[in-house]
Amino acid sequence: MTDNEIINKAKETLGNIAIEITNPAPRRIFLKVDKKDLVEAVQRLKQGLDYNFLSTISGLDKGEVFEVLYHFTNEFAVLTVRTTTSRNDPKIPTITGVIPGAILYERELQDMFGLVIENIPDPRPLVLPDDWPANVYPLRKDWKYERPVEKIPGGE
Amino acid sequence: MAEFKVPIGPQHPALKEPISLRMTFEGEVIKDADMRLGYNHRGLEKLAEQKTFIQNLYLTERICGICSHSHTTCYAQGVEKLMGIEPPKRGLYIRTLVAELERVHSHLLWLGVAGHEAGFDTFFMYTWRDREVVMDILEIISGNRVHYAMNALGGVRRDIDDLQKKKILDSLDLLTKRTAYYANIGTNEPTFVARLAGVGVLPKQTAIDLCAVGPTMRASDIPRDVRKDDPYAAYAELPFEVCTANTCDVLGRTIVRIKELFECYKMIEFILKNLPAGDIRVKAPRRVKEAEVVSRYEAPRGENIHYIKSNGTDKPERLKVRAPTLANYPATLVMLKNGYIADIPLIFAAIDPCVCCAERLVAMTDYHTGETNIVRMSELRQKSIEHYKRVNPAKKEIVWPF
Repeated sequence: MTDNEIINKAKETLGNIAIEITNPAPRRIFLKVDKKDLVEAVQRLKQGLDYNFLSTISGLDKGEVFEVLYHFTNEFAVLTVRTTTSRNDPKIPTITGVIPGAILYERELQDMFGLVIENIPDPRPLVLPDDWPANVYPLRKDWKYERPVEKIPGGE
Repeated sequence: MAEFKVPIGPQHPALKEPISLRMTFEGEVIKDADMRLGYNHRGLEKLAEQKTFIQNLYLTERICGICSHSHTTCYAQGVEKLMGIEPPKRGLYIRTLVAELERVHSHLLWLGVAGHEAGFDTFFMYTWRDREVVMDILEIISGNRVHYAMNALGGVRRDIDDLQKKKILDSLDLLTKRTAYYANIGTNEPTFVARLAGVGVLPKQTAIDLCAVGPTMRASDIPRDVRKDDPYAAYAELPFEVCTANTCDVLGRTIVRIKELFECYKMIEFILKNLPAGDIRVKAPRRVKEAEVVSRYEAPRGENIHYIKSNGTDKPERLKVRAPTLANYPATLVMLKNGYIADIPLIFAAIDPCVCCAERLVAMTDYHTGETNIVRMSELRQKSIEHYKRVNPAKKEIVWPF
């Protein structure tokens, strides 16, 4: 399938759910959906276009909003489904019902960006240590790491 | 008999990397497996946002030692797309050459570990001895054995000359012969095959649902390979096949890797004999206009994917890295379930079976009724023979793969 065929089929399958479809490079397709339609879109892409393989989920801090990018791959192209959620109410529905392999990436999003994944089957922290302070999310742009002053025993 | 939980790791003599496995056993059968990550979390994605595009090339090289070329290539080709530059053909060929040599050394390393965990240490010694040949080739090309530092934004940093080519081709003959010998031993030696067959089964549909990658996925009969599906560097021009196996177990994963070794040798020979003339790199700008890119690479362990977003400065807005092993964790938990304690090291390939340092049985508790009987050693032996005849029907129908 060529990129144009995939785009046409995606438009047909998703109808008015797809807000915007772009094709900036060969074999790279970006698709924008509203977060309330996310699970429906993923479901339809899986059944209609055979996008059953999720490579990863990237989070992005854009100030007022968080952008979440779901990178689906198959043998023809990478289809990235993007959706946004507001900073004040960072909720995103889980897609593990459709793609069970998404669980680790969703847990990582919760850890690193403080997104709330609704109905996630396993909400435990994934990468941050147990004594990590609450409500501190390292990949948000307003979080800065300051290296603690090194104390040398017996030194100056 | 009650279930009991055994933590393995995060610090364990046999673990090469810190990871914590929480296993629930019933007798010697794994009933549940859980895993905790994060002991090696270095905050690299945050750090990348504070470094320039050139500095990040060296940062990504240090994500992993075994596949150091994978991450830099994935990152470099993404940034090159953002910058709108195209490396010269010779540069792309040399980049591909190092990538394939790295795959050879990684697969030989894995074969050795598999042999070691299966209790076949001669195999381990042999493969690791021959891995030195590849390491020497990599040293001839790049000057380094582990961090090759071959990539630059816009091409590669070192050229290769005719003398180096000849040396590599000579070594390649030796490697091809040795690998043919391993293919024969590793897949025809009855004890080795019997140890690997039927262990760590990952059915095809489960592999798709849990988004497994690389040889793990290809051993479940899914012919997916980024080099074929989404050709990068010079792969569109190279002759190679995607290797698969349909046994869905550890034996299948061994076969896929041995087959891939032969494909690697074929590709390396083709690259050296058809190396285009010309420059090896082009000049890259410092600043990058605002854009985003998804870059993919087939690392020895599977698909490696980077998402890079630039914001018009000389530093990236976001660098998301997903290494292949993370994608294979959910599938590993499925492989472990209903396996035996003794299969953990094989399935996980890095964990020593110290957990089963169990005492020899004299009193045997019936699993269903809870009765305890004192049994003679000979009775116990007979019972165990009967038990193992029943439990793993897959072992009886092993078909020699070659």
